[in-house]
Amino acid sequence: MNHEHVGDDAALYALGALSDREAIALQVHIRQCPSCANLVGDAEDAVTAAALAEPLHRAPAALERRITGLLAPQAAFGRGSAVAAIAAAFLLGILPSWYLWQQNRSMQDAVASRGAAMARIAEGPHRRASFRGGGGNVAADVMYAPDGSWYVIVVKGISNPLQVAWMHGGERTMLGSATPHGGLAMLYLPKSHRMDQLALIDGGRIVGRAALHYD
Amino acid sequence: MAATPDGDEALAIAFGAHERGAFAQAYRQYASLLYSAAYNVLGNGEDAQDCVHDAIAKLWRKPGSYSAARGSLRSFLVVCVRNEAISRMRRHNRRLHMTQRLAAQPEDHAELEAGDPIERDRVRHALERLPDDQRIALRLAFFEGKTHTEIAADLQQPLGTIKGRISHGLRKLASALKV
Repeated sequence: MNHEHVGDDAALYALGALSDREAIALQVHIRQCPSCANLVGDAEDAVTAAALAEPLHRAPAALERRITGLLAPQAAFGRGSAVAAIAAAFLLGILPSWYLWQQNRSMQDAVASRGAAMARIAEGPHRRASFRGGGGNVAADVMYAPDGSWYVIVVKGISNPLQVAWMHGGERTMLGSATPHGGLAMLYLPKSHRMDQLALIDGGRIVGRAALHYD
Repeated sequence: MAATPDGDEALAIAFGAHERGAFAQAYRQYASLLYSAAYNVLGNGEDAQDCVHDAIAKLWRKPGSYSAARGSLRSFLVVCVRNEAISRMRRHNRRLHMTQRLAAQPEDHAELEAGDPIERDRVRHALERLPDDQRIALRLAFFEGKTHTEIAADLQQPLGTIKGRISHGLRKLASALKV
């Protein structure tokens, strides 16, 4: 892309014909260049006009619930709030660990190690997918490393532990339990492989699935 | 181009200011359009829902993505969702062959709304009036979700030539549609 002016790339961006990397570069540029932003806006209008001619599908009510949940103050799993959620979960883990320290130093060491891992996660690049479906009403996300080296499952608003499973080839591998503290549960899973599908299980019943995507 | 052709300048300003309520209202206002933009690329309702959700989530996490200088909020959102859908399609290496999509009539789809056959005809005729080289390049981009690099390879033309054809073609399409 020409970084002084977007030129023909405005049309390519609006059509989705740029690579992801090129599209990001264009987005960065137009934040600081109103004339190019306007050019991109014109191209977006043209693409939208063409899109309006395509078949129209009614948006499912479930999607509105997910969007509402996404934007709700207490359920915002954005980058900042995800970090806050991790920090909150970390604190919830650390505070009881102070008590445990007096009884079991090895357990305290384990919690401290987990805290260090959480700090790395909060600072490192990650992806996110939501759990949905299964007839449940669970607000849960999974944040994971782009190379599949770790996964953090965060579940909101539950009172009982949920099991987390890796679904693969028609099989179910149990990974651990997300146990709530104050309505927020978190499970940290360091792994050496990518997992494409995770499920949350409550009493043997799947209450949410998340599809994970990688480059 | 009007600042906000969809006629809701206040919503666009509030959205640009990253107001929570404006995000929710914008979604409600354009829900079917956004869902359709994703569905028509991915061809799957569950994937389309994930796509719209993730596109909105990305915007919510990234303040400043939209500004009034850009123009229509509706167009901005449609393109964000559509680009997210195309990215997903590429990631999954799922090339949908959608060349005949404008003419498609999937009556058996339970969630289908009527759409606008007049608008569909307008777009189809506007596309047909484009010079062949521009129309072909534009179709490969819009209906098959190909990158300009892939289109250049498919048509065995230099990258710059393809970029120019797509850009000119889209401008002519916009002019014909009086966008």
